[in-house]
Amino acid sequence: MYACIYIPDFPLQALARHDPALRSRPAAVVEGTPPLCTVIVANAPARALGVAPGMARMEVTPLPSIEIRHRSSAEESSAHAALLDLGFSISPRVEDTARDTVVLDLAGLEPLFGAPRQIAQLLTGRTRELGCEGQVVVATNPDAAVHAARGFAGITVIAAGEESARLGGLPIHVLAPTPEILETLDRWGVRTFQALAALPTVALAERLGQEGVHLQKLARGHTRRTLVPVEAAPRFEEVQELEYPVTLLEPLAFILGGLLNQLCARLKARALATQELHLKLELEAGIEVEPEVEIGNSKLATRPDRESLQSPQCRTLQLPVPTQDSQLLLKLWLLNLKSEPPRAPISKVTLAAEPVKPRVAQGGLFLPLAPDPEKLEVTLARITGVIGKEKLGSPELVDTHRPGAFRMKRFAPGVGRHKTDGRRSTIRRPPSVIQREPQPTTALRVFRPPLPATVETRAGHPVRVFAFGVRGDVVAAAGPWRTSGDWWRDDSWSRDEWDVELFKGHGQPTRLYRIFCDLATGDWFIRGTYD
Amino acid sequence: MYVELHARSAFSFLEGAVLPEELATRSAELNMPATALADRDGVYGAPRFHLAAQKAGIRAHVGAEVTSADGARLTLLVASRAGYQNLCRLITRMKLRAPKGEGAATEADFAEHAAGLICLTGGDEGSLAASLAEGGRDSGAPRQCLERLCRIFGRENVYVELQRHFDCREEARNQAAIELAHSLGLPLVATNGVCCATAPQREILDVFTCLRNHCRLETAGRLLARNSERVLKSPAEMARLFADLPEAIANTAEISSRLEFTLNDLGYEFPRYPTPPGVTQMQFLRQRTEEGMLGRYGPHHPRALRQVEHELKLIEKLDLAGYFLIVWDIIRYCRAQNILVQGRGSAANSAVCYSLGITAVDPVGMELLFERFLSEERGEWPDIDLDLPSGDQRERVIQYVYEHYSQGANGQKKAGAAMTANVITYRGRSAAREVGKVLGFEAETLDRLSSLVSAWEYRDEKDTLERQFRDAGCDLAQLRIRKFFELCLAVQDLPRHLGQHSGGMVICQGQLDSVVPLEPATMPGRVVVQWDKEDCADMGIIKVDLLGLGMMAALEDSIVLIRDGYGKDVDLAHLPPDDPAVYATLQKADTVGMFQIESRAQMSCLPRLRPERFYDLVVEVAIIRPGPIVGKMVHPYLKRRQGREPVTYPHPSLEPVLKRTLGVPLFQEQLLRLAMIAAGFTGGEAEELRRAMGFKRSQARMEEIEKKLRRGMAERGITGRAADEIAQSITSFALYGFPESHAASFALLAYASAYLKCHYLAAFTAALLNNQPMGFYSPATIVKDAQRHGLRVKPIDIARSGWRCILERTGDEIAVRLGLCYVKGLREEAAQAMVAERARRPFASIDDLAERVSVLRKDELVTLAEVGALNWVGEGSALPSRLHGNREREALPYHRRDALWQVERAARHEGPLLGSPVSVLRTNYTTLPSLLAGEGPGAGGRAEPSSPLAAMTPEERLVADFHGTGLTTGPHPMAYRRRELRALGIRAANELESIPAGRRVRVAGGVIARQRPGTAKGFVFLSLEDETGIANAIITPGVFEQNRVTVVQEQFLLVEGRLEKQDGVISVRAERVLPLDVTRATTRSHDFH
Repeated sequence: MYACIYIPDFPLQALARHDPALRSRPAAVVEGTPPLCTVIVANAPARALGVAPGMARMEVTPLPSIEIRHRSSAEESSAHAALLDLGFSISPRVEDTARDTVVLDLAGLEPLFGAPRQIAQLLTGRTRELGCEGQVVVATNPDAAVHAARGFAGITVIAAGEESARLGGLPIHVLAPTPEILETLDRWGVRTFQALAALPTVALAERLGQEGVHLQKLARGHTRRTLVPVEAAPRFEEVQELEYPVTLLEPLAFILGGLLNQLCARLKARALATQELHLKLELEAGIEVEPEVEIGNSKLATRPDRESLQSPQCRTLQLPVPTQDSQLLLKLWLLNLKSEPPRAPISKVTLAAEPVKPRVAQGGLFLPLAPDPEKLEVTLARITGVIGKEKLGSPELVDTHRPGAFRMKRFAPGVGRHKTDGRRSTIRRPPSVIQREPQPTTALRVFRPPLPATVETRAGHPVRVFAFGVRGDVVAAAGPWRTSGDWWRDDSWSRDEWDVELFKGHGQPTRLYRIFCDLATGDWFIRGTYD
Repeated sequence: MYVELHARSAFSFLEGAVLPEELATRSAELNMPATALADRDGVYGAPRFHLAAQKAGIRAHVGAEVTSADGARLTLLVASRAGYQNLCRLITRMKLRAPKGEGAATEADFAEHAAGLICLTGGDEGSLAASLAEGGRDSGAPRQCLERLCRIFGRENVYVELQRHFDCREEARNQAAIELAHSLGLPLVATNGVCCATAPQREILDVFTCLRNHCRLETAGRLLARNSERVLKSPAEMARLFADLPEAIANTAEISSRLEFTLNDLGYEFPRYPTPPGVTQMQFLRQRTEEGMLGRYGPHHPRALRQVEHELKLIEKLDLAGYFLIVWDIIRYCRAQNILVQGRGSAANSAVCYSLGITAVDPVGMELLFERFLSEERGEWPDIDLDLPSGDQRERVIQYVYEHYSQGANGQKKAGAAMTANVITYRGRSAAREVGKVLGFEAETLDRLSSLVSAWEYRDEKDTLERQFRDAGCDLAQLRIRKFFELCLAVQDLPRHLGQHSGGMVICQGQLDSVVPLEPATMPGRVVVQWDKEDCADMGIIKVDLLGLGMMAALEDSIVLIRDGYGKDVDLAHLPPDDPAVYATLQKADTVGMFQIESRAQMSCLPRLRPERFYDLVVEVAIIRPGPIVGKMVHPYLKRRQGREPVTYPHPSLEPVLKRTLGVPLFQEQLLRLAMIAAGFTGGEAEELRRAMGFKRSQARMEEIEKKLRRGMAERGITGRAADEIAQSITSFALYGFPESHAASFALLAYASAYLKCHYLAAFTAALLNNQPMGFYSPATIVKDAQRHGLRVKPIDIARSGWRCILERTGDEIAVRLGLCYVKGLREEAAQAMVAERARRPFASIDDLAERVSVLRKDELVTLAEVGALNWVGEGSALPSRLHGNREREALPYHRRDALWQVERAARHEGPLLGSPVSVLRTNYTTLPSLLAGEGPGAGGRAEPSSPLAAMTPEERLVADFHGTGLTTGPHPMAYRRRELRALGIRAANELESIPAGRRVRVAGGVIARQRPGTAKGFVFLSLEDETGIANAIITPGVFEQNRVTVVQEQFLLVEGRLEKQDGVISVRAERVLPLDVTRATTRSHDFH
């Protein structure tokens, strides 16, 4: 016998696990990019108000007291994992049929848990404990169990030989045929399992091929297939509850070091490494929800798991390469905690690692040594802690008229340095843009940030410049070179630039500067000096 | 003095952001004596610029940026008429040999067309800039480039162009150019390469740049403008900019003085009609007119004779004989080819046009005002529009004109005729979509926004663009969204691209490409001029509008169907006048499918107006127009007609003019006559008055005219209330009214359609169905209306149906058989192949059909089966005749699902092993004839068994019918629910007549039309159809606001309210509107117009 647990309206139920109010009030889950979201699931009270899948969010919003939630992939994943856990708590053979469906092999479990109906009741109860309302079916074959679970509410037990009769009334879409076949069956007026089961098999095969025949077998509840059980995912998690709450980083480092050693030892034992770690710190008091922050490549984040964990602090550490090095990991965690210390004493520490295959790298004999990625990561994390993430990386020029514009991209030595982008731009550049860049005859040494200056002008032309360390009369000026742009953004710019030659005094050589006036504010700056 | 010699307008299509008119106005504001418009590869904006410049008091120079083979552009300015002709020919040549929107001129082209042109070297897209970029200033390329230009255009006609936009790279180029110019002894000239009139328009320019390059603002980078300096600058500003080069500024004035040509000197000449030797065009026209007049008026008709003579004299004076003869020639061609043709518009005011057969309305009999058509003072060409059957027939006429006037004297091809262009401009939805795309809004946001842009004719106060943005989830407080909103408004009416006008043709005596550049149209074989029809008219180029009219095609089809189906020849020109059956039908407003009188508003007017003769129909056509409605003429006219109000005149002198319309002015001509009689306007002045109140009426002009009117009236002793009344009717009305002649032409078609519907319903219905889309109602409503009138409409059947709807005669009964063109997704070629194969031998089975007509796709076979078109396959001669007919067919064991079952197998491709011969594998079934004969399976022959599937329910058939054909020949959906509807107290449409007015009633039906006219103050009018007819409901603005979604979206509605009856017009004033669940079938309604 096989048991199937199906969670109807899964996206909504996954959210309701942490917000039970969603069950009793009219609620709908939407998907899409705001403001254009459409309803994918609605609960019964919402359906009674006229909400249906496919409706736009804006159509639903005006309805009284409706709760609208956005689909959460994370919460669905955790609900799915919990569903699998539930399966494994009863049977060692569990099939991960779909995100909302699991099938359990019940062979040999009767002595342990009782008759099929009792098992079904047990499963229903445990599903409820998970915070979900499930539909549970026990049948002689997995497919029949799955279809019945998707079609019938509550608990259903189908005895051997009764499959066809019990499934007959189910609507055909439960079989999930391809859209083409579903359309054909609909045109034929075949809308239930019973109607499909009644069609002559050979004639059906002539029309819908083997897929049609297979669907018919499913509709008759006569398939025989082997369950495809999943292995229980190995969990690498270490937890330590503290006798006294920890308030200093040093004892916490000691605790973390121990946990990391354990974890890395377990990973090594399975020939695995980790690239992502989750740290959960249960705090003594208060709710801690912090924004996500990023330092270099190590993603240090607090997960705003607001409902579930009574506000423990959760952080994630992501690494560029897999590692088993507990010392490295400890350093990174300490840097992380140092830059963002917890805001309350810690009473419990949970550390979990996502297992991945370890990195295999072959160094070339004649290749120059690149920095060790692990060490580089630590260094970058240290620097980030000091200067802030937006100031770390490699500068990259931006295609714009904005003078001196650049952006920071991730610092990745040796990656893609000599590669050219194979894609060709389809944008036609006018001759003025594609024309050959003039070879610079002199270099501009740019001040970052530009030096604020006071500039005297006559008939719009600069005649004298004063700034910190720069002062003199303008003996020659070229300009203005006027640029403006990004008028659709908040940081639009408009400026006049001048190249000026300054006379700083007798006996001193004149120097060339690039100065500019911000036309929005009227302020002058020295942008740089020519070599 | 500075003259801007290099300005682009929005007619450079996505390379300029300013309208020519704005450019001219701004130039005048900046005290510039002249400006040159040089759009990219064309003179698209030249007429508008020319007229605007005249108005602004500056000179408009003509020029263009012409793309050369290396991709660079030369700025060419027109110095003389020869230069203009050369420029037009040059552009035509490069355009016509390349695909639409492309083309470049070679050095040889420039050399051949250089005379009369002045060449500037261009800005950053010019050839000098390109050669400097290519080889650098020290290479020989820039020098060679200038020398080449000197060779082509002559040294005295080449100027080295300098632009200063505060760009250091541009300045480096300028310095190189100055050096070169000095070394070659060429003069310098300053321009600003203008693309905008004001600095904020730079944003539009950036948006256009992105549209041109298919990118977003965020990713466009350095493609965008560096700054906002490409604006029209004042002479003082330009002088400051070029203070170091005063000669560059001075030379602009020098060049301007050399540019003598303006568009006043276009040199257009209408073609001369080839007359027999020794006969002038005028003599020839007189002969043709006299011949025609004899036929139209008979030998003794002094009034007609006088009128014709008056007109001929004016035609001779204005030298228009050639024009009339050419239109007459087109009419003659149509008659020879059996193509229906009728002149419309003001041409119907001319007795000469009537005599020549151009129009069908007798202007003498109807006392129409000739000056509305042609007047000496107006100085413009008359406007003759010809209505032709839409589709192939019209195309034949266009090709005739095109071919006929493109033949030179020695048989050589010349560009003598072309279509006028249609400038496509940015409008609400297109503006939002394109601007939004460039600003990086997601496609879904834009879809939602464009779907929210209101399509109602009436807009309430809340229905603003701002609200539409808010409804789409866009917050105008955000900068990007505010820019989106502002730009949507700013790009409105800017040209987007050039299309082809549907019917306007221009004809020229000489080479048309010397008058205006020609371009290839998207449609193969078509050539369009660069100006739209308004510009052509403004430039004095004569045009003939060959307009396609769906009703003309339907009438033409009807004649053929009547001849074939009824065995009668009907001549539309000689229909019995004042047919009682026609007027009885019109008085009942039973006018579904009739030309111009089928709309809801017309239907509610007909029972009040109760037409009894042809002139009443003319009034009927003209009265339901915004002019009479806004001018509050409708009710006074109807009341006077019904005798409830005395017929009075504002002044006794106006009685002759207003007598026919009971003292109420209804036609444009009447207003013009009012002005002529009451205020002493001449014919030309009156026409001027009409034009002044045209689409772009200005308040100042209106006031001026009103003063003139009142002065004239006072001189004639008309003052006080009478003067007010006359002035009020003229000013509020003139724009939106029909000319009487136009109404009369339309009334002729309306009468013809009514006559055919009354007497040849089958032919008329089939013709209407064959010429969809047209008219006010969907094919589903046309079919139901015909059925209610007793016509049998048979379903699509592949054993009988052709591509188009046909007539089938059974005994005395003539029925319409729906054509295969109504099967959604069925290609005509597949249908025609099927019909051809059927003619060889009937199809024995669906397998037989699939095998013999292999071009049929599976989806086509499935739809055919779904709509019941395959139910009869294999009937051949074996089916008993008792089974013929719709009702019996559904009772057959062989039903639509059987066909669907068979189709699924017949259309399935076997693998190569089983592929051939198919029939071998499909023979183990019985044939339908043997099944009917009671034989069991395996009795031999080809396969056509019944299937294991259940027959469709009536609801399923309905869904399949609407899904597959958009209509049903079976019962109306409401008929299936009548019992339940009765239980709800819902009355059928035909019961309303017997219920006293004022009672509360419930009516229900499928919505076939929803209207919210601009003149109805927010009221919504619904037409609800059931199996007995059409019920009308009126939704007040309050009820509409409460039920907006229901009223707008639901297919079937229940309306509860009070029954209103007024002069035979029945409607329900809604108090409650509820959705009704009748069927899942998707029906259609005609909304919003």
